[in-house]
Amino acid sequence: MTILDETVSKVAESLEQQRADLAILAPILVNRDLNGRVRLIVREELRDNPQARESLGVLSQALSLSLERHGFPAERMVLFETDLGAIRNEAPHFRLEGFEDVWVLDRLATESDWSRLIPPGHGVSRIVFFSIKGGVGRSTSLAAAAWALAEAGKRVLVLDMDLESPGLSSSLLPEDRRPRFGLTDWLVEDLVDNGVELIGDMIATSDLSHNGEIYVVPAYGSDPGEYIAKLGRVWMPKMGADGTREPWAKRLQRLLTGLENRLQPDVILIDSRSGIDDVASTCVTDLGASAILLFALEDEQTWSGYRILFRHWHRTGVVREIRERLQVVGAMIPDVDGKEYFADLRESSWSAFSDELYDEVPPGCPATETEYWNFDQMDESGPHYPWPIHWHRGFAAMRSLHQRMSQIDSGQINQVFGDFFTGIEMLAQRDGDDE
Amino acid sequence: MKADFHDACLRHLEDAEVLYENQRWANADHLFGIAAECGMKRLMIALGMPLDSNDTPHKKDKVHANELWIRYESYRSGNPQAGCYALWAADPFQDWDVYQRYGHRTHFNQQRVDPHRNGAQAVRAILKRAERDGLL
Repeated sequence: MTILDETVSKVAESLEQQRADLAILAPILVNRDLNGRVRLIVREELRDNPQARESLGVLSQALSLSLERHGFPAERMVLFETDLGAIRNEAPHFRLEGFEDVWVLDRLATESDWSRLIPPGHGVSRIVFFSIKGGVGRSTSLAAAAWALAEAGKRVLVLDMDLESPGLSSSLLPEDRRPRFGLTDWLVEDLVDNGVELIGDMIATSDLSHNGEIYVVPAYGSDPGEYIAKLGRVWMPKMGADGTREPWAKRLQRLLTGLENRLQPDVILIDSRSGIDDVASTCVTDLGASAILLFALEDEQTWSGYRILFRHWHRTGVVREIRERLQVVGAMIPDVDGKEYFADLRESSWSAFSDELYDEVPPGCPATETEYWNFDQMDESGPHYPWPIHWHRGFAAMRSLHQRMSQIDSGQINQVFGDFFTGIEMLAQRDGDDE
Repeated sequence: MKADFHDACLRHLEDAEVLYENQRWANADHLFGIAAECGMKRLMIALGMPLDSNDTPHKKDKVHANELWIRYESYRSGNPQAGCYALWAADPFQDWDVYQRYGHRTHFNQQRVDPHRNGAQAVRAILKRAERDGLL
């Protein structure tokens, strides 16, 4: 039995056998369809090229045999198309390692694939808060970061994109300051062109800020309404009358730009859903994040999850683009044996980054900064080096956070979040300086 | 004979193009409509259209291109997978009818045929996309 994980290597083996003919056949798209079945797409003009047809015939036989149920019968193994460039852009793709002009095209049932990166915009820094696991204090930390940045005089826009488990806004807004609508309302109403009218009624200002401003766009408004019915529609692409299609991530980008133009924030903090999830993928890769904070606990589930993502970025060739935006945050560092815990966390983090994201420095070669992107385990400037957030009973419950933060004890809050705030302020400053 | 809407779409379209090149407008027009009908029916099957035991659509879907354009849309909506398979909103087959095959050839010219040809080609492009996605 052949399984999906083996399909790419099996295709590579068959192509290797025909390597001499690749000059005629390339470019080749290795098309993995929605069911994970593979076939090749080549240029239309090869249809009338006897040498190419013969070679494709041999290739089709070999692939049909080796791919088994993940393939097609030899006579249906090849599709001919006129515009391979346009077809390649229909779905996420990556270059097949070891071949010059052969691309693997992955047609997925979901819109997001974690590897189509939107480059960071200029000026306003967009910081995404992501965690593999929920319940690690990510949203609380975001609320605290918003407070700290506002205290430093910044205009902060906060977006609660944890649509399936919303709650961030309750820590920044008292009940009576909730706006009428939230992100889910906009995403649904935009489908019928009501979005523009909603936008003014989905922004609230937090009373926690003294020096700057905290704007909050919650997942839902003061009345959640038919939340389940709305949530089931937020991922819809918007179809134009002429058949053009705007995927939901593009719609969200449009909203973000609209909010940015309206509120002119200095920094945007985005609370992403946790886990390897569709919404999370959009937050991490599609919103032009300038920084992606990876909240981590020192446990197996966290690091195996992050390794899956890191490996995917490696394979899909986006590792260089994304790795410079990453920063690990050590969540809920315990007060008992905290130092040992932190050392273990740092080691796990460094090991995952070294294996998947850092450049390998050849033996005997001095690691100069310009040539290799690599950090020593103890190097505090490395993205693997966790920014610690200490566990504190008072900040463990979101519900009480608004009250707690409104009667803020800056000594206590700095004790918990101090190092984290330093990092966040540095990020906000860095992007501000780029402007 | 068992229906093969996919192949039927392609062969009708290929023949329609031959007739079109030779300015045989009347029969080209007829075949573009039939090609679009077959293509849309194949896509509707992929999107969940129920079939009778002999693989033909139920009565309400047993219609021609001029009525199918709208029916197709009803199978597409509610199916997030089908977001990539949208036809444009204005139905190009509104002035096409299968009974026009009994009409005189002087009623047909290129101006009449072109929108039907575009419609049939749009259906074929979506059919090819569905094939690449593995739905056919």
